[in-house]
Amino acid sequence: MIEIKDLYVKLGDFILRIDSLTIQENEYLVVMGPSGVGKTVFLYTLAGFIKPKRGMIKYNNIDLTMEPPEKRGFAIIPQDYGLFPHMTVYENIAFGLIIRKTDRRKIDELVRKYAEIMEITHLLNRKPDTLSGGEKQRVALARALIIKPRIILLDEPFSSLDPTLRVKMIEFLKKLRKQLRFTAIHVTHDIVEALELADRIAYIHKGELKGVYTPLEFVNTLYAKPYMNELALVYRRLKQLRIGDIDII
Amino acid sequence: MLKIEKFLLTFAAIASLGILFVLAPIIALFIALDPSTLYKTWIADPLLSSQARDALLLTLEAAFASSLVLTIIGIPLSYFLTRYSFRGKNIVEAIIDIPLMIPHAVAGIMIILAYGRRGLLGPFLSLIGIRIEDSFWGIVATMMFVSFPIMIDTLKLGYLSIDESIELVARSMGANRLNTFVKITLPLLVPSIVAGFLLSWARAVSEVGAILIVAYYPKSINILVFEWFNTYGLKYAVSLSFVLVLFSLIVFILLKTVVRK
Repeated sequence: MIEIKDLYVKLGDFILRIDSLTIQENEYLVVMGPSGVGKTVFLYTLAGFIKPKRGMIKYNNIDLTMEPPEKRGFAIIPQDYGLFPHMTVYENIAFGLIIRKTDRRKIDELVRKYAEIMEITHLLNRKPDTLSGGEKQRVALARALIIKPRIILLDEPFSSLDPTLRVKMIEFLKKLRKQLRFTAIHVTHDIVEALELADRIAYIHKGELKGVYTPLEFVNTLYAKPYMNELALVYRRLKQLRIGDIDII
Repeated sequence: MLKIEKFLLTFAAIASLGILFVLAPIIALFIALDPSTLYKTWIADPLLSSQARDALLLTLEAAFASSLVLTIIGIPLSYFLTRYSFRGKNIVEAIIDIPLMIPHAVAGIMIILAYGRRGLLGPFLSLIGIRIEDSFWGIVATMMFVSFPIMIDTLKLGYLSIDESIELVARSMGANRLNTFVKITLPLLVPSIVAGFLLSWARAVSEVGAILIVAYYPKSINILVFEWFNTYGLKYAVSLSFVLVLFSLIVFILLKTVVRK
């Protein structure tokens, strides 16, 4: 369980405040909010790259607030996936295990296992610059999950994918959650991602955590209104066009 | 269509003039070269050839030592300048670029004033047995001073071309700062290190004004060119210069190949 209390981050004129937030084991928390409200700052503060002015970040009652990023066990996946360009997919996935001085045979076994789960076994010898967006995403997920992190931090992971791939990746991530069970914080400003993936949705606005809701609760808040209006617009148009049920292709 | 062609034509003409401007002195040097003098200065005449070879070797060695020390200093210095913001960073960057702006003779005087026997830090250097005036280390120090901004600026560009987010990912995967640097940053920085090394080496080899003041002896090749021009005339200076230009060409072809890779 991750507990965040009285977190106060100041970056120039920008202030981020999280009074209290708890993330349960194996929970998938989606952090929503418009662009520039501090979602990414929140993620990087949790990861240990931004030092808060005050407050506390705890994992199972262990205080991590002042711990360096490498000692937190919080694996981050940045918006551009952050794959190591000079390493092959295999070396990318194995990186965290090599750092932990895991036995070579064990590394090989685990890399192949995770590559199979992510359906990227055929890419193991390729370099990241030869991969598509979706493939890069899977490699980044494999690399993060293989070290069994306490939590996985995803910063707008689908923002650079085209709609077809985005839907596929959302479905894939849902399947992956069932299969591997992991705790995650997923930052996005996309309502579809949030509703599809979240156990709970945390809404941040102007640097402040406004509340944490179940997806059902969230769609009934004022914060969800702009997003719901967008969905309603699409729904209304589809109705006008007399399109009935739509299936995911 | 016609407009674009005119545009390209104008640009091509200006570009060609630029190339010609640099190429003309090189061609002129090759034309002025007298093969028999070249043979005499580098091989046949025992006195001249030993002087020429010693001076060339000394220059190459001193430039190598200078670039090596600059690489060791430049890697951490550029790291701080690109990865951190701190008070006075602009001033530090301006200080680094000073050698680009001052006349070479002035640079030589400044080095003597700072590191010479009676200079600011001279007594400390004497304690560890380093003398700057008329010594190999004097040449190295002078070369380092004039090449400093070139090395730092090249390495800075190298660091900036490495996406910082991959360093953050490595750390979140459990790698400490050192491991992240060794396994992620350094391998990606290698082309910039090679480029910085070759560029600062080339700049060091070309220096004459400051070396003239700090260390006339032992004679480096550029001092010898200057001296032979005054003593023996153009022919002899050309045969020395020819080899230097040839070396520079090889270094820069090497550099372009590395950068392209």
